[in-house]
Amino acid sequence: MSAVLRAWRPGPEGWDRSAAAHLLRRAGFGATPEELERALAEGLDATLERLFEDRTPPELDGSIQPLLAAESLELLQAWWMARIVAGGAPLRERVTLVWHDLFATSHEKVQDVRLMHQQNELLRREGLGDFRRLLQGIARDPAMLVWLDGRSNRRGHPNENFAREVLELFALGPGHYDERDVREAARAFSGWGTEGRSFVHAPEHHDDGPKTILGHTGCFDGAGALDLILAHPACARHVARVLLEAFVVPAPTQVEIDGLAGTLLASDWDVGRTLRVLLRSELFFAPRARRARIAAPVECLAVASRALGARVPPRTLARRAGAMGQALFRPPSVKGWEGGRAWIHAGHWIARHNALVELAENAAVSCTGAEVLRDVLPEDPAPLREAVERLAREPSSEPAAIALVLTAPEFHLF
Amino acid sequence: MTLTRRQLVVAGLRVGLFVPLALRARAAPARETAERVLVVLQLTGGNDGLNTVVPHRQDAYYRLRPTLALPRSKLHALDDEHGLHPALGALQPVRDAGRLTVVHGVGYPEPDRSHFRSLEVWHGADPRGTPHTGWLGRMADRIAARSGGMPALCVDDGELPLALVGERVFAPALPDESSLALATLPGLAAGRESAGTVDHDATGDLAFLRAAARASYEAAGRLEQALARGSSADYPDSPLARRLRLVARLVTGGFDTRIFHLSLGGFDTHAHQAAAHAALLETLARALAAFEADLAASGAEERVLTLVHGEFGRRAAENGSRGTDHGAAAPVLLLGAPGGGGPRGTPPDLNGLVDGDVPFTTDFRALYSAIEQDWMGLERTLPVAPFPLR
Repeated sequence: MSAVLRAWRPGPEGWDRSAAAHLLRRAGFGATPEELERALAEGLDATLERLFEDRTPPELDGSIQPLLAAESLELLQAWWMARIVAGGAPLRERVTLVWHDLFATSHEKVQDVRLMHQQNELLRREGLGDFRRLLQGIARDPAMLVWLDGRSNRRGHPNENFAREVLELFALGPGHYDERDVREAARAFSGWGTEGRSFVHAPEHHDDGPKTILGHTGCFDGAGALDLILAHPACARHVARVLLEAFVVPAPTQVEIDGLAGTLLASDWDVGRTLRVLLRSELFFAPRARRARIAAPVECLAVASRALGARVPPRTLARRAGAMGQALFRPPSVKGWEGGRAWIHAGHWIARHNALVELAENAAVSCTGAEVLRDVLPEDPAPLREAVERLAREPSSEPAAIALVLTAPEFHLF
Repeated sequence: MTLTRRQLVVAGLRVGLFVPLALRARAAPARETAERVLVVLQLTGGNDGLNTVVPHRQDAYYRLRPTLALPRSKLHALDDEHGLHPALGALQPVRDAGRLTVVHGVGYPEPDRSHFRSLEVWHGADPRGTPHTGWLGRMADRIAARSGGMPALCVDDGELPLALVGERVFAPALPDESSLALATLPGLAAGRESAGTVDHDATGDLAFLRAAARASYEAAGRLEQALARGSSADYPDSPLARRLRLVARLVTGGFDTRIFHLSLGGFDTHAHQAAAHAALLETLARALAAFEADLAASGAEERVLTLVHGEFGRRAAENGSRGTDHGAAAPVLLLGAPGGGGPRGTPPDLNGLVDGDVPFTTDFRALYSAIEQDWMGLERTLPVAPFPLR
């Protein structure tokens, strides 16, 4: 295994509140105060195992049918937010969001909450498994077939939208294919469409002639085209980059990308096993990786509300995330959310501030500013601590003390 | 998708948010131009120019549009040859005041019929390139370098348009009056002050976040003051009218923004166009008329120029669904341009269509050049001579 992914072996000093909070924030959506204490007591290995658990409350699964019947995107957004905040399957919900950002599909065009939910369940089901299955699944996903016009891609009337994006955004990245590959791959995908809300392959619309894709010639169909893409060396590197950017650092080095791509291939494309290596690597816990990304709205709100034990309706959280620039199921384009500094827009900072002040107001009975500071900013910036302590002398200022922590720019680095 | 609108946005963010107060140079431009304001209103989807400014003397118009042609008797006369769509009646007082200019046939060479690409051309003002900044953002950069403040605002929700992306300045979104209203708690502002007074040696993203937060709080405060001072005239009940009212309140309340970008969507009328198009134009005309009346009542009308454009016009002939498909050139409206209003430029000749489209007779960059140089008082940067506004 690559040296950059060597397992981290923290001494008793190393596994501290800051390291535990880092792991729980990145691999899940933060921790309640109890979860954080347990992580500190149990150590790295046990905490990592818990992140892989699937204990989402069954009522959340049961609630989906009546909710879909209402055909309301807002309810679907609230449902996903509820799963995220419930914290029953931290890593699974986290990768679901990572894949939603990669295979970015918007209800704006799809206009069918059942299809959006179906895709969300695909990302959740396959998200920690074999990436090849995930890619083959997303290519046949009805919401995707609507979103990137796959269903109107027919023999003699090719639509290149999906073929282009799978090469450019989903699997390879620019520089690894040319326009001819786009055209020929589009022909391979022809005939894949939808019937009702199901995937259908219509042989009469499939162009079964010979094609040359990424240097290989044959009468490829959609599955064959995806196999060629997956076999291209750039594909594993592309997926490795996506995982590194989502979980570790905004700008991974080539050595890190190559290292993780090697892990992915060695695990036979198993995303879960790859993450098991990554999330306990020296790289993951290195100073360079800590507090290295600007928090996205959904994770910012989820981490804050879980740390506070605030009982905010998920619908409110989802709506606030939208005001902050991340409406679930509505990424701005097929490229997903730009992320990083683009999250901070003067108007968006105010939306962030307002949402967090609202959380603080609701939470002040259950916790204090000093506790919140200790749990969400264990790095303990001194001027902030002093300001929190000054405010806390006045009991009526406790909500302001909590709000001060949550609106501190330091908290927004995850 | 080819390019990467959001990469462009980030390119605009690369350097930082607002120009720090300490860096503001106080070189004085002529006071008159320094107070002028530009409002850009985009008719998203591609407005049907031929049914906005109707060439009713040309027989070809009626031939090309068997079901969509507007009867001459219902039009609002612009000149002997042209009339405005019946739904634009609310603009009559604006026209009578000499503040409505219609520039015929505005477009660019080798027109692109993709919404995305054509908007990119209009926003970037670089028809052959793949621009990463917009014409308004580039002006905002220069205004900020001269006088700081918040030179441009996006009075819209959704993504920041490329037009507003600059190299240095970032235009905040302000879709409504409450979007910069700051929630607060007793003690919070004081706590922030005391936590922030210590000089942290922040770099990178932390420094960026600090600057963004500071600029936002500062803008929220100034905005509140400007809104309290600004006019409070009546407007029609439409989102566009509410946004134009917000612009008027900021302009009359002394807020320092010089460039505002707004949009009105729904102009992509491929089918059953007549009623939808009329409703859109009525919304547009009523909102603009209220805006103009508000500015005039506050004595601010001389300072404000409004440019109304879409990404393209529509094909001259209607399609089989009583609608129109993507075309090329279209008229542009200017409100408040110097020169007394009226029609300008070369009107379309429907017997001289190119590929079934109205070819352009005025390059949109000539309008941009005129606005940049003659209205905003900035050095001209585009390679097309200014359109004579006067």
